[in-house]
Amino acid sequence: MNLVDFSGDAFLVAFFLYCFGFLFYVIAIAGKKWGNREPEEHVRRWSKIAFVVSSAGLAAHLTFFFTRWAGSGQIPTSNMYEFMTFLAMAIMIAYTIVYAMYRKPLLGVFALPLTIIIVAYASVFPSEVQPLIPALESIWLKVHVTTAALGEAFFAVGFAAGLMYLLRVVNFTEKTKSARRQQFWVEFTLGTILVIVGFIIVVFSFRAAGYEATFTQENVTIDSKGQQQTRVETVNYYMPPIVKPYNSQVESYESFLGMDKPLFEAPSWMNGVNAGRKFNTVIWSILSGLVLYGLLRLISRKPLGAVIHPALEGIDPDDLDEISYRAIVIGFPVFTLGALIFAMIWAEKAWGRFWGWDPKEVWALITWLYYSAYLHFRLSRGWQGLRSAWLAVIGFVIVLFTLIGVNLVIAGLHSYSGT
Amino acid sequence: MLSIENTKCECGHQNSVGTVLCESCGKPLDKELAKSEEPLEMRYDGVARRSQKSNPSIIDRIWNFFSSVKIAIYLIVITFVTAMLGTIYPQENTFINLPDPASYYQENYGILGKIYYLLGLSHTYESWWFIGLLVMIGTSLVICSLDRVLPLYRALKKQQIRKHHQFILRQKAVYRDRIEGDSKEWVASYGEALKKKGYKVHFEEGTGTALLAEKNRFSRWGPYINHIGLILFLLAILARSIPGWQMDTYISVPDGDTVQIAGTNYYLKSEKFTVEFYTDDELPDELKGTARAKKYETKAILYECVSNCSDPLKEPVLEEVKKDDITVNHPLTYKGLKLYQFDFDLTPRLNSVKPVLVDKRTGEVYGPFYLPMKEAETQHKLGPFTLDLIANYMEFALNSEGKPTTLSREPNAPAFVFSVKGPGLAEDGEPYIYFPMQKDKVKFAQDTINRELADKIEIRVEGMENVDFSEATTHLNVRMDKALPYLWIGAVFSMVGLIMGSYWQHRRIWLRVDDGELALGAHTNKNWFGMRSDIASALKKIGVSVDPKTLDNGGKNA
Amino acid sequence: MGKSRRTVQIVILLAVLVIGGYAIWSALFGDDKSGPLEAGSEPPAFTLADLNGGTVSLSDYKGKPVVINFWGSFCEPCVKEMPEFERQYTKWKDKDLVILAINLSEDTLTVNNFVKRFELTYPILRDVNRKTERSYGLRQYPTTFFVKPDGTLMEVVVGGMLEKDIDERVERLLQL
Repeated sequence: MNLVDFSGDAFLVAFFLYCFGFLFYVIAIAGKKWGNREPEEHVRRWSKIAFVVSSAGLAAHLTFFFTRWAGSGQIPTSNMYEFMTFLAMAIMIAYTIVYAMYRKPLLGVFALPLTIIIVAYASVFPSEVQPLIPALESIWLKVHVTTAALGEAFFAVGFAAGLMYLLRVVNFTEKTKSARRQQFWVEFTLGTILVIVGFIIVVFSFRAAGYEATFTQENVTIDSKGQQQTRVETVNYYMPPIVKPYNSQVESYESFLGMDKPLFEAPSWMNGVNAGRKFNTVIWSILSGLVLYGLLRLISRKPLGAVIHPALEGIDPDDLDEISYRAIVIGFPVFTLGALIFAMIWAEKAWGRFWGWDPKEVWALITWLYYSAYLHFRLSRGWQGLRSAWLAVIGFVIVLFTLIGVNLVIAGLHSYSGT
Repeated sequence: MLSIENTKCECGHQNSVGTVLCESCGKPLDKELAKSEEPLEMRYDGVARRSQKSNPSIIDRIWNFFSSVKIAIYLIVITFVTAMLGTIYPQENTFINLPDPASYYQENYGILGKIYYLLGLSHTYESWWFIGLLVMIGTSLVICSLDRVLPLYRALKKQQIRKHHQFILRQKAVYRDRIEGDSKEWVASYGEALKKKGYKVHFEEGTGTALLAEKNRFSRWGPYINHIGLILFLLAILARSIPGWQMDTYISVPDGDTVQIAGTNYYLKSEKFTVEFYTDDELPDELKGTARAKKYETKAILYECVSNCSDPLKEPVLEEVKKDDITVNHPLTYKGLKLYQFDFDLTPRLNSVKPVLVDKRTGEVYGPFYLPMKEAETQHKLGPFTLDLIANYMEFALNSEGKPTTLSREPNAPAFVFSVKGPGLAEDGEPYIYFPMQKDKVKFAQDTINRELADKIEIRVEGMENVDFSEATTHLNVRMDKALPYLWIGAVFSMVGLIMGSYWQHRRIWLRVDDGELALGAHTNKNWFGMRSDIASALKKIGVSVDPKTLDNGGKNA
Repeated sequence: MGKSRRTVQIVILLAVLVIGGYAIWSALFGDDKSGPLEAGSEPPAFTLADLNGGTVSLSDYKGKPVVINFWGSFCEPCVKEMPEFERQYTKWKDKDLVILAINLSEDTLTVNNFVKRFELTYPILRDVNRKTERSYGLRQYPTTFFVKPDGTLMEVVVGGMLEKDIDERVERLLQL
């Protein structure tokens, strides 16, 4: 067995340990009202178990990382699969650091599922070791990617604590206009997370079923010389096409649940690489996310926020607020160093320009400006508690867009790390 | 000044206008504020900021505008929102050659693209308003920092040890207790415990019943050092627009050629460009069969022109200054000039051939002679034959009138027309067209054009060793950036400041005992959790056990 | 503290005004070197060899109207245009009109054959390694630059011109 295969096994172990860790955290907070138990003792014991298990998961994850590195001879951060698994690992590291400071294991209730979702999301991408193109062979790239990911991981922990704060503080029984607005957005945030979960479920279900449909698409582009060029491309779908690519013909189509042709065509302005397929995936993710949400609502018969809210009682919201803020404060310099300064050094080495307004660079700058605005809001404008928590949540959305959205929606120099 | 009222504190200290908390004892000066029970706002220790002044003039107004953190935040928000807009469609500068951007955006992105272009978003980051925003952020950085750092410095420089009761008890972390026994001793032992935790402890002289413990004051300067770094960084970027500070051009060098780098006295020769691709064994399944570059390299020599540099009649005299192999991530650098591997082109280019002349009637072979594609000798004597070059075409074709012409100046399909004189040929020469490339020979039917002469003689190349061509052309990016060192200095400052401000916190504890009544207040700029546990663990050392959480006096976390 | 404070404020605001003003100004009016030259700007200087073994500089013709034409034997519209320039040259020669036809870095034989074929009498200059061509930011051939006696560009014409197009422009140029 070679090292790369071994690392794959270690990764699987890490994934299951994370899942069990999460389960134990849920038992820790949900089980405190179970009959004749000392609630505090129960929380203390189970959260300790959960922390140990998830730390074991992190150990397995680190094993994965280093054995894959040794086996492939290159640091595993060069494609989307490797980068996302690294990000998940960084989140666990960041969580452990924050835990060491505050000794609040319960933060794991939110940090772990985030890690699990990202690990699962990573598995959507092909996991083969890909040889590097020359531009990526630089020590600065390695330093840049790992440091930036670590900074982002702290922002993720800030997000987890912020979301926890919201779920802890937002009153789900109140009926005032502002309370309803808060309730809606908390639900919306949870719903968005479910859409991502839905995406992962859909991808793996159809992959397991081996679904495939093929289109030929005629692409008309106007090149830089003003000449019109037509290219015919084959587009493969691995999910039943609800929407077909713009200006395309069905080549092959497996019918799905009685649906035997695409329902509609992607609009013409969606003309990026595989835009039709991406759009189709988005539709499927949203649908499955909504179904998932609907099911959960059906079981619980109340908003998801209202389900989680009581479980968090007993946690001091001020602590959550401070943890969220602290995580971001810790992450900010790391992010600055990794995503901006190291990135500039690398860009200077590789292309001779430290900054080129490439979309990925711009979004890293946007993330940085956003969090610096957050810090100033907090320091000088006194935005604390609810507002600060919302800012932390939105901030992480920007981080995710920078990491994933830019690759999917906007193409740029970094597009080699996308799919 | 109109507002002389209230600037003098009851402790006797004369404060300047705008002071919130007395600079000396810390008592709230504002009457409203003094009545309230809420924890105090401790920003800049309540001293008057420079910008706050009654009846402002124009300069004051501008100053105040940029001194406001609120404005700074707005500027940051506007900047990142416009930066977002700039990423919707590709920017103009991502195209190396875009003759008509207006129609490009409209044709590719429809009406939205047109609006995008008209709004100037297709060149967001070079637009005057985006630069303007950066300038305003820079201004705000300077003025905000200046307005805050000086008062803060003054406030921290001369701190009174015994603070007003209101000041202590309205901190965010507060502890009150009744002390049995000697107060002075208690204070001394608590001070000792704090010293062990790394605090600098100052006792009130004489009485010994009040103390000020302080730790990590330097972290307060972090944000300002960071801001200085950012200002340096912005100035360095600006300096790049000084003529001669920055250069960014591209050169294409075919193998073996020496090309001048435009705008400089340097010439670059590419001895050989090589590209290596991954083999299928090294590639994962889905990439098999694709040409994935593993490494590309230009063996380059940089020359400097030493004389005849601008004389078009003479060949410039070049002197080798640097020899290096340029690869991605490894540019050739010489005196601030950097040459980066940018791209390559594997279209071969014919440079020269060494053909022979064959007398088909006798089977005799004459030559070979040297025939470069450009600037070839116009006469060649080969045995009894004389070849006079009368015309050449780089990319041979027939024009609309059926006359030979060239389609380009690159030797893509070269043709040479000789006038051949020799035994058995016309006195004044017979024309013979020669295509060095086999494909052209066939395509343009060389033998048919040359008619009877083709039966008598033939010009041909024997063997590949007589053909010289460049296998590849390397594209290099030439750059120079004199502002770079300043940029990195700015970045270093900024990083140092960030780390100082983020990973250390300024913590202060004030304590006074009056007739056995202990009042303890503490302030930190970040991390109250740590602040409270400091107080509690020091208390524990002298035998007082408190839960850190109970020290929380409410108020906002910052 | 009033006075020194005011001085500091004024100094800083002035610095901001100068530095920031320069930044915004260069963003607004900064010359875009990559783009082609436009009317009103000054054409880049050059010194090139002619066909008679001498050199010709643009600065030699200060105060005279100059037509700079870039051409190549591979460019069909250029080939059509050249005899028309020849006729214009004979027509306006006495009025101090200068025509400088810069060949696009072709080799000697090609240029000589071409000049012989069309019996061109105005100065033909030889660009080397596309140096001058690049400094003029050429993208299409032929391109003709009409330079006023004051040394600035009157017009840049991209693409081939008919005789009347040239004539009309030269007349305008000579009236200046």
